[in-house]
Amino acid sequence: MSTLKVENLSKQYGDVVALEDVSFEIEDEFVVLLGESGAGKSTLLRCVNGLTEPTEGSITLDGEDISGSQTDIGMIFQQHNLVEGVSAYLNALTGSLNRVSMLRSMLQWQSQEDKVRALEALETVGLLDEAHQKVSRMSGGQQQRVGIARALVQDPRLLLADEPVASLDPSSAESVMGYLRKAASEHSVTALVSLHQVNVAAHFGDRFIGLRNGKKLFDVGRGELTPELIDDLYGSVETVSLAKQASKPDPKQNGQQEGAEPADIEQEIEA
Amino acid sequence: MSTPPSKGNSLAAYFGFGEIGDSPAEQKLQDMKRRKTKRRLWTLLGLVTTWALFYWSLLLIEFRLSELVGQFDQFVEAMTEYFPPTTYFGIPFVDVGAYWSFIRAENLILAVEGGQIVWGAMFITMGVAFAGTVLGLPLALFFGVMSSERVIPYPFNFLFRGTMSLIRAIPGLVWFLILIPLAGVTPFTGALAIMVDTTGYLGRLFTDELEEIEDGPIEGIRSTGASSSQIVTFGMLSQVFRQFIAWIAFDLEHNVRAAIGLGIIGAGGLGLELYVQRQTFNYTEMMACIILIFLLAGSVELLSQRVRSMLREDDNVEKTGIIETFANVPRNIIGSTMGRR
Repeated sequence: MSTLKVENLSKQYGDVVALEDVSFEIEDEFVVLLGESGAGKSTLLRCVNGLTEPTEGSITLDGEDISGSQTDIGMIFQQHNLVEGVSAYLNALTGSLNRVSMLRSMLQWQSQEDKVRALEALETVGLLDEAHQKVSRMSGGQQQRVGIARALVQDPRLLLADEPVASLDPSSAESVMGYLRKAASEHSVTALVSLHQVNVAAHFGDRFIGLRNGKKLFDVGRGELTPELIDDLYGSVETVSLAKQASKPDPKQNGQQEGAEPADIEQEIEA
Repeated sequence: MSTPPSKGNSLAAYFGFGEIGDSPAEQKLQDMKRRKTKRRLWTLLGLVTTWALFYWSLLLIEFRLSELVGQFDQFVEAMTEYFPPTTYFGIPFVDVGAYWSFIRAENLILAVEGGQIVWGAMFITMGVAFAGTVLGLPLALFFGVMSSERVIPYPFNFLFRGTMSLIRAIPGLVWFLILIPLAGVTPFTGALAIMVDTTGYLGRLFTDELEEIEDGPIEGIRSTGASSSQIVTFGMLSQVFRQFIAWIAFDLEHNVRAAIGLGIIGAGGLGLELYVQRQTFNYTEMMACIILIFLLAGSVELLSQRVRSMLREDDNVEKTGIIETFANVPRNIIGSTMGRR
């Protein structure tokens, strides 16, 4: 149970305005951040994570300012950012670093609880049997799932993911997103995920926030993400609408809202 | 000599000082001949100077051909001592037994006396190298990590970088001489010299390796809320762990060779034994030492190379054959002794 509140957030890099007066509040939801490259998605996530200092505005998690403290926020990166030479288990275990001293962590004297938690996190993402394997020997999708496990071991209140499936093939992307969704709901954490693939977003999101040129364009629930909104967000890019059409069961029902679908898919994944 | 015909004063013309004509081409020819004369004079001067310096050097070192001729019989005799001849099954060969009996008598490898193992000169050399490497390792790690710009911000990391450069500027041989007041002319001082040398070299190799790591894992560890020392350990060092082990193996191999060189100037072990036998003109014994040095340095090098190629599956480790490795031993020993790698 956690609430992320972003109020009047602005960020400027010199003369370039990356974010302008963005506000929203999310509570125990799986929120997808949509927008073109350069729309401000990464900047927003970096601000929330504390990797970048905002120019104006405030970000609070359960009423507390999130300045700098990253222990409560799990982050999943596009390029997974794991240590490739060591096992999936040890990578997942690094999620517990903030709870142990330097010396104990060096000698791998984490508590039994943390070690079990690391393996349970790997179980959540379906990699318990591969826990001993080196990350460098794993596929891109598996590596990203280890990244999710590491974030879970942190026991975060908020899960951030910056284009977690951008470098994966469609089938790995779907399974990684499925595991991410499952991880968020099992641990009941708020998740804020930026995505490029509109159809993937529509399948998995509870709520959608669209950014364009650093401004919030829309903030809609599951039933309200219409093709018009998408067209508005990306301009008229043909391949985006193509992808949307392909994901629809019946192309004739073009005007219908997208919301009905994700629930079924979600059930499939959780089954 | 191809002197121009018909025109008088041919010698002066040859050197470019005669009259051969007034056309521009003839004028130019004249000019070029003069230049050539000038070059010849410079060459002559150079030859004369070189010869004078050479003659002077020979006087200084008391070079006498008569000495070489007079001593030649002695040299041949020494050769038969270096390689004492004998026959095995009627076939003439080097008397390996002579070497072996000296190695046993002087206990160059190891002996068992009254149920106790007495380690010989070879193991002392090995010990100097190994102890020096292990002592230098934490220092190398410290300086190597602190020199990385990602750990210590720009101007300050150069404090550590500079210290390592200073250490490397002085060869291990000279470090030994400098440290003699600390622990005497002993293997102990030899190990200390190698410790200092390792700090400078291995630390530098560590720094170079750290320059090449990726930023992703560092950011990944930072995102978990780890402390800065944990970020260095898990985000940075864990990326280069295997490479570090490989460099340590490389450095140990170098240090074994350096320890032999240090032995010759007093740090004990095989080097010292070689020096003592040289002083007493025991040529067979000298050669026995040299053979052991070859075997020791060559084996350590082979072992280290194999370990390194195992650790760096993807990288290319220069992998030399057994014969080549042993053939390179003398050159590598000199290189390591002088601080070159």
